[in-house]
Amino acid sequence: MIRRYQNTIFLTLLLALASVFSVADAQNAPEASEEGKRVYEKSCAHCHGTEGRGDGSAAENLLPRPRDFTRGLYKIRSTETGQVPTDQDLFDIITEGMPGTSMPGWDTSLSANERWEVVAYIKTFYDGFKENTAPRQIDLSGKIAYAEQSIETGKALYTELGCVECHGNVGRGDGTSAPTLTDEWGFQTWPANLAQGWTFRGGSETEDIFKRFIGGIAGSPMPAFEGDSFLHFGLTSEESKRLTELENKDEMTEAEDEESAAFYEKMDAAVDIALRITEGETLNAADRQSFNNAMKVVYEKSWHLANYVKSLSPEKRPEPAIGNNALRSQYIGGELPTLGDAAWETLKASYFPLVGQVILEPRQFNPTIDSVNVKSFYNDNEVAFLFTWDDRTHTTASEDEETGKMLEDAVAIQFPVKVPQGPTAPKPYFLWGGRLPVYLWYWKASAPEQVTELTAKGISNAEVQAVQSDLQAEGTYTDGQYNLWVKRALKTDDKKDLQLEPEVFVPIAFSAWDGANGDVEAKRVISSWYTFVLEPVPSSRRFIYPPLVALLSVGALFGLRGFARRRNS
Amino acid sequence: MKRLSLFTKCLIIFVGCWVFLRFIVGNVISVPIPGSVVAMYMGLIIIAILVHISVEDSRFREFLRPIHETLIDDNKRLRRRVIAVLIPFALLAYTYSIFAQRANPPGNPRDAHPSPPLELTYKDEVIGKMQEVENPFRHYEKDDPEAFKAHVENGRRVYYQNCFYCHGDDLDGQGHFAPHLQPLPANFQDPGIIPNFQESFLFWRISKGGPGLPAAGTPWDSAMPVWEDMLTKDEIWDVILFLSDYTGYQPRTFGEGH
Ligand code: HEC
Ligand code: HEC
Ligand code: HEC
Repeated sequence: MIRRYQNTIFLTLLLALASVFSVADAQNAPEASEEGKRVYEKSCAHCHGTEGRGDGSAAENLLPRPRDFTRGLYKIRSTETGQVPTDQDLFDIITEGMPGTSMPGWDTSLSANERWEVVAYIKTFYDGFKENTAPRQIDLSGKIAYAEQSIETGKALYTELGCVECHGNVGRGDGTSAPTLTDEWGFQTWPANLAQGWTFRGGSETEDIFKRFIGGIAGSPMPAFEGDSFLHFGLTSEESKRLTELENKDEMTEAEDEESAAFYEKMDAAVDIALRITEGETLNAADRQSFNNAMKVVYEKSWHLANYVKSLSPEKRPEPAIGNNALRSQYIGGELPTLGDAAWETLKASYFPLVGQVILEPRQFNPTIDSVNVKSFYNDNEVAFLFTWDDRTHTTASEDEETGKMLEDAVAIQFPVKVPQGPTAPKPYFLWGGRLPVYLWYWKASAPEQVTELTAKGISNAEVQAVQSDLQAEGTYTDGQYNLWVKRALKTDDKKDLQLEPEVFVPIAFSAWDGANGDVEAKRVISSWYTFVLEPVPSSRRFIYPPLVALLSVGALFGLRGFARRRNS
Repeated sequence: MKRLSLFTKCLIIFVGCWVFLRFIVGNVISVPIPGSVVAMYMGLIIIAILVHISVEDSRFREFLRPIHETLIDDNKRLRRRVIAVLIPFALLAYTYSIFAQRANPPGNPRDAHPSPPLELTYKDEVIGKMQEVENPFRHYEKDDPEAFKAHVENGRRVYYQNCFYCHGDDLDGQGHFAPHLQPLPANFQDPGIIPNFQESFLFWRISKGGPGLPAAGTPWDSAMPVWEDMLTKDEIWDVILFLSDYTGYQPRTFGEGH
């Protein structure tokens, strides 16, 4: 399927040239100046390189690499496939930065004037900007509102049009092709996790997403609307559905074979018309009509897809589990729920963002795991946790080519051995302890039903505890997501274990490894210390005293009135 | 228009003061005033109001009149009923909220700039007294601007290969990993940092990182790496030159007031 996209890139460029949508306003960056060069060299060159080739001194450690400006490929544009961005596009991306990458936003550290100057300057790296024709902009006027119906349509299209191959069944970036993708410059690149809209490079509004479909993400393997195959250019929605159905069959009958061939002929014909437009031919009314119809279908599909993608993420990145959002284990009378129990759905997860471990060698500069979500219940004797995190690949054992080490997905949950008494009391070092030891639960993908207890006094000084408590665990991997369920008694006999008591705030921290991203040993993603508590059962007095107070106040008011009346008479 | 009764005036003053303290002042000075302080001020305001209405008998009676009327006048029946519902209901909600309150985890109080040790070391090698050691390359600034520039450039390389993930491209403490670290990485654009410390202090902080802090600095929480494990002595001195060159702030020099 991917090869098919490549075959059509050329066509796409022509197609884009052919289409007849609105034209950008006049370019508005100033002429390139010394000022632009000064700003660039101070703020951008160490990543993008003095010559704009994306080879600054920081580049080596970064993925995605800082952009090479000499090729004129820009991911985030309001212009059609194959076009350069408008000045406003460049200004906006420099202002906002690119979420999920090291490209920062410059809204506070450079003045608007400086940003315009640097826009003019980076344009000098690519000759394509010198052509005086304004790039054609994507027409947003046909926006289809964000609503149930459109989301459903988008969902069907998502499977039909092959997004699944890269982005996975439910969009977590775990498709079968995901680990194989490279960008224009040959560097590995991962499909976006569509459930984490806050990592979209170009913003997560439906308009933003829509523009990525029509305009493409230049330089990335993510296909744009590319003529005959990607969005089934030239077919109606029904025909497109039918074609997908046929292609998904293991074997086609002769009649079906012919039917599918006919669809391809139809798409070829549509592309042919598009080509004739680029060649400057004036079309007859019928051809013009069929071209316009084909374009309309592609635009509509893209709006539905954008609405569907939008529906996959929360409105914004969840708040980290600090302060009021701290992880609170909820009390339950009876048995604790097991993995898959509906009771888990009743809890709101606490969100723990993770960062690359860049504190000790070997470092992880380009993490692929964003966060871990945690829920917890406890009863009189035990506590159960549900840890959930997204990982695009399920790696149980793969040998690292460079080091020969075995790479594997894993997670570790860290507590102090002794809970510090009071906010100023010493804690163990947040990175697997130091002078004071930490108590760890270590789980790996190759042994999903086992959690090992460790004691660590430093990242390379961890040992498996001689006495393993009776920890129950169950881990699953589905559609790009791990779910790990762990249950332990509140109290154990082992002095090296953390002992839990209701109402006591306990430090908690995480480490996670994505084997496919080269994570192993110290190279991993981590969090600093957070806190968790076995939330006290809310006192039943809350149902007794407040009504009592209210009743008393009613009594008092009546008393007061009686008193006033008696005085009056 | 009817003149406002004394009771209404007092009520307006009371509510006005509360809104002012609770919402407006906090916004202006951009730190909310703690609840206990607000409560204290409101207590004072109540006392002031009580003093004001009780100095004269007639004033006190005037103050009570609307209350009295509300309680018994026939034409105030509606108002009476509304109040008879509102007051108990407000008390119900308030007491419930007290009982339903959840405890929040303790904060992380820390001294961001605890005192350094007396001696400056790199790994185990003693460099000299904290108060005396100077940046060995600083003198090039005057003596040999070309060489100085080369050191700053090397510092820039060191910074963008190692530090910007946390301290940010623009040295403003807003690197892409920064928002999820507690405490937050230092913001070198803040005039409270570089101009306040000698280069030897910065060398100490960079070479020993979070784990090298004394207990008051909560060494167990800081993500600041121990750079002596990863950088050479010269690289650390160079990155210090870069920090001050980029931000335009001069570190405090030896001998400047104490
Ligand atoms: C810390 C490194 C870093 C610095 C500093 C930096 N960038 Fe970037 N920049 C990147 C990376 C990485 C990308 C590519 C992200 C991607 O491809 O997803 C990028 C991409 C871009 C893009 C391409 C946007 C697009 O639509 O594809 C522009 C334009 C850009 N940077 C401008 C600038 C300017 C101007 C500055 C200085 C004011 C700057 N950058 C500073 C890392 C950096
Ligand atoms: C060949 C693999 C591939 C296919 C097929 C594919 N994508 Fe992507 N997609 C990618 C990659 C890779 C990226 C990351 C691009 C980048 O940031 O460089 C991406 C990024 C995205 C983004 C995020 C854009 C942003 O601003 O960061 C969205 C949304 C998206 N894809 C939706 C879709 C939809 C919907 C489909 C199906 C119509 C689809 N993709 C098909 C590979 C693919
Ligand atoms: C993993 C994130 C991280 C990296 C990488 C990092 N720092 Fe830090 N740094 C911090 C944090 C967090 C603090 C604040 C806590 C503290 O004082 O230890 C800090 C504090 C500092 C301070 C102390 C400032 C003060 O107010 O006393 C200096 C100086 C410093 N960093 C320099 C550097 C230099 C130079 C580098 C690169 C060689 C670097 N840091 C890399 C996280 C980091």
